[in-house]
Amino acid sequence: MTIAISSGQDRSSLLEKIARTRELTLLALIALIIVAMTFASPHFLSVANFRAISIGMTPNAIIVIGMAILLASGGFDLSVGSVMALSSTVVALLLLAGWSIPMAVAAALLVGACTGLVNGGLVTGFGINPLVATLGTMSIARGIALVMTEGFSVSSLPAEFGAVGKASLAGLPVLFWLTITMVIAFDLAVRHSAFFRQVYFIGANERAAALSGIAVSRVRIVAYVITGILAALAGVLLASRLMSGTPTAGSGLELQVLAAAVIGGASLKGGEGTILGAFLGVVFVALINNAMTMLAVSVYWQMIIIGAVLVIAVALDMMMRRRAG
Amino acid sequence: MTPLLELTAASKSFGPTRALTELNFQLLPGEVHALVGENGAGKSTALGLMYGVIAPDTGSVTVGSQAQQFRSTADARAAGVACVFQELSLAGGLTVAENIFAGHPRQRLGLVDWPRQRTDAAALLDEFELDIDVRKTVDSLAVSARQVVEIAKALSLDARILLLDEPTSALAPDEVDALFAIIEKLKARGIGILYVSHHLSEIFRISDRITVMRDGRKIATHHTAETTEKEIVSQMVGRLATAERVRNKRPIGEPMFRAQEMGLPGIYDDLTFDVRAGEIVGLAGLLGSRSKLIARAVAGLLPPSVGSMELGGATFAPRSLRDAIEAGIAFVPEERKTEGLFLGESNLGNLAAANLKRFRHFGLFQRKAAAEATQDAIGQLEIKTSGPEQPTGALSGGNQQKVLLAKWLETQPRLLVLNEPTKGVDIGAKLKIHEELERCASGGMAILVASSDFHELLALCDRILVVRDGRIVGETDPANFNEDDLLSVASGVQPAPAPDLEGSPS
Repeated sequence: MTIAISSGQDRSSLLEKIARTRELTLLALIALIIVAMTFASPHFLSVANFRAISIGMTPNAIIVIGMAILLASGGFDLSVGSVMALSSTVVALLLLAGWSIPMAVAAALLVGACTGLVNGGLVTGFGINPLVATLGTMSIARGIALVMTEGFSVSSLPAEFGAVGKASLAGLPVLFWLTITMVIAFDLAVRHSAFFRQVYFIGANERAAALSGIAVSRVRIVAYVITGILAALAGVLLASRLMSGTPTAGSGLELQVLAAAVIGGASLKGGEGTILGAFLGVVFVALINNAMTMLAVSVYWQMIIIGAVLVIAVALDMMMRRRAG
Repeated sequence: MTPLLELTAASKSFGPTRALTELNFQLLPGEVHALVGENGAGKSTALGLMYGVIAPDTGSVTVGSQAQQFRSTADARAAGVACVFQELSLAGGLTVAENIFAGHPRQRLGLVDWPRQRTDAAALLDEFELDIDVRKTVDSLAVSARQVVEIAKALSLDARILLLDEPTSALAPDEVDALFAIIEKLKARGIGILYVSHHLSEIFRISDRITVMRDGRKIATHHTAETTEKEIVSQMVGRLATAERVRNKRPIGEPMFRAQEMGLPGIYDDLTFDVRAGEIVGLAGLLGSRSKLIARAVAGLLPPSVGSMELGGATFAPRSLRDAIEAGIAFVPEERKTEGLFLGESNLGNLAAANLKRFRHFGLFQRKAAAEATQDAIGQLEIKTSGPEQPTGALSGGNQQKVLLAKWLETQPRLLVLNEPTKGVDIGAKLKIHEELERCASGGMAILVASSDFHELLALCDRILVVRDGRIVGETDPANFNEDDLLSVASGVQPAPAPDLEGSPS
């Protein structure tokens, strides 16, 4: 008797494969927006505008790296916006208290690492649903930031602290280059490092990952800590750019970042998505926002459009999967 | 010969429940050692001890000559123990190569060494003489190919001991042959294989020794050549059970259900058959035959686009399962855990879920009536549970299946449609479920059963329709047909004996 096991067949065409690679779809859409906007508005294609876009999206682009890793592991983190605000106030308060810049920054990052550790501990140690756990820490982190500052922004920071936030390299902000470098580094790490590949197994099938000898809890905690540190870094950079610590910064940011990551190919079910895709999701949303501003669409309408884009992107994806499956 | 793996007086309790009592067990190099027992007999616990999922309270696990204290599955894997679980444990979106080396990727300086990983994965699969592209995602593979990937994954750590838990549950009969060929190869390499399965016919084909467990204890270990299926069954059940039941003759009534040239492009085609009151009709088909989809069609889940159906003499054109239930059909789905039951709910809640109308009085849920009905079902089906309030998820698989059946019988259907009514349940529960179905048929219920367990269909049905590629290719009388005949018709090796596509004579 011949061996009866076949490996199934792949019926999809090249076009469908391209459409299924989210990075390529997004790049095409981004190119489309740029071309369309170049014709629609004379101010769009200018160095000043691109500087503005790249600076504006820095916090989201840095934080989405962590969010994409968490989503791939089947978790997520709602506390990122609050942690960003908390770290921006921590670094500002410490600088006012006379700490050196490296020490103040390190302390702010440590705060981010700690909130990540708490999130990871709640999710793995107590088995609390990530929605509930990070909803709690979101509120707590924001509250601490507000308590420490009594709700006011912390300004009059030393001038040297603003250097990074305002510096340029090759005509573009240093913040932009830093973001790009981090995105590429994390994208490669997640694609190729033995440690981060484990994230996908956990997201796809947690029990199976554990039975394959993967230390599920440890990997999950590391993912939350990385996200916490990235959120704190975004807070430090924000403080540097604005020259103040803002306890109310980043409210609603967690949902923008989640939306961008999902548009970029991540799934709340876990096991999917790339850093590059999530970053392109952030770029895509930032461009749409910029385009609407250029076209003088009201901010209120912008919210409606972004919501519609998110839902349409996911609906199209589900349709394609159903056809492919 | 020194055993590869040995359990010595291993005991384990979960709370007040004694799962394992002083189990002694030896796995020798190059043998296939089958572990059999009803659900709840302690097989899963024994497997868990050997793979480091749980630790024994007393007693020891020895691998090679070293006593082991596995703290995790990682420890067991390091000691050379690998396990293939009943539920596939692969990550669908990742490639075959990545899945095979899950948890221990081929790496250099912390980075995955993709080329070497692909080569090594292909080399592992090559031993099975199977053509699977290691760069494909697991999602794109057929279920049987996934099973092979699973085994390759287990062997990727140079395991000397392979634990197989119900490895054939997702395989079609011809694929089982392919799997057995692989097992023979592994045996020849001196690997010891523990084989856990409910399918005694498979066990007698592949195993060298059989250990029977009951109520957490070892009853006996036999050399397969020196025992019989009957002896094993009676030791499993603990009483003298006959695998072959005496068939009761039931009066068969008027057609309850009738399909006329029913079709849905790409799914099923040209189906003409009937099911009579008091009759149990089987749909037999191999994996991919779509026999179970036909059952779903009758239940209103895949309505036909051409042809017609009749129920109780009236036209029956359901657009949904709700319509079908309304018309007097009950549908017992294949996957009790995902499709059939609310595992966190009580038995009462599960039973009531399909019967909310019955237990409603002026819009209020009649808890007492539902509890009484549940208690009746527990008695009728001999469900082992502490009562109507116990969560169904806490019951053994066989008892869960009985709750699922009770839930739908409570709707008092005219036509009962079942998909794989005894999948993964123990022999005792299986016999009880068959008995109950026969009792219902005697009361005039029409029953349509789709199953890939041909042994079951032959034991249960009055008539069997053989399905291939979504079509009925033959109709057989179980009385003068055996499993091999059925298999050859279903696989298309042999044409059907006098196909009667126009339904039974009226």
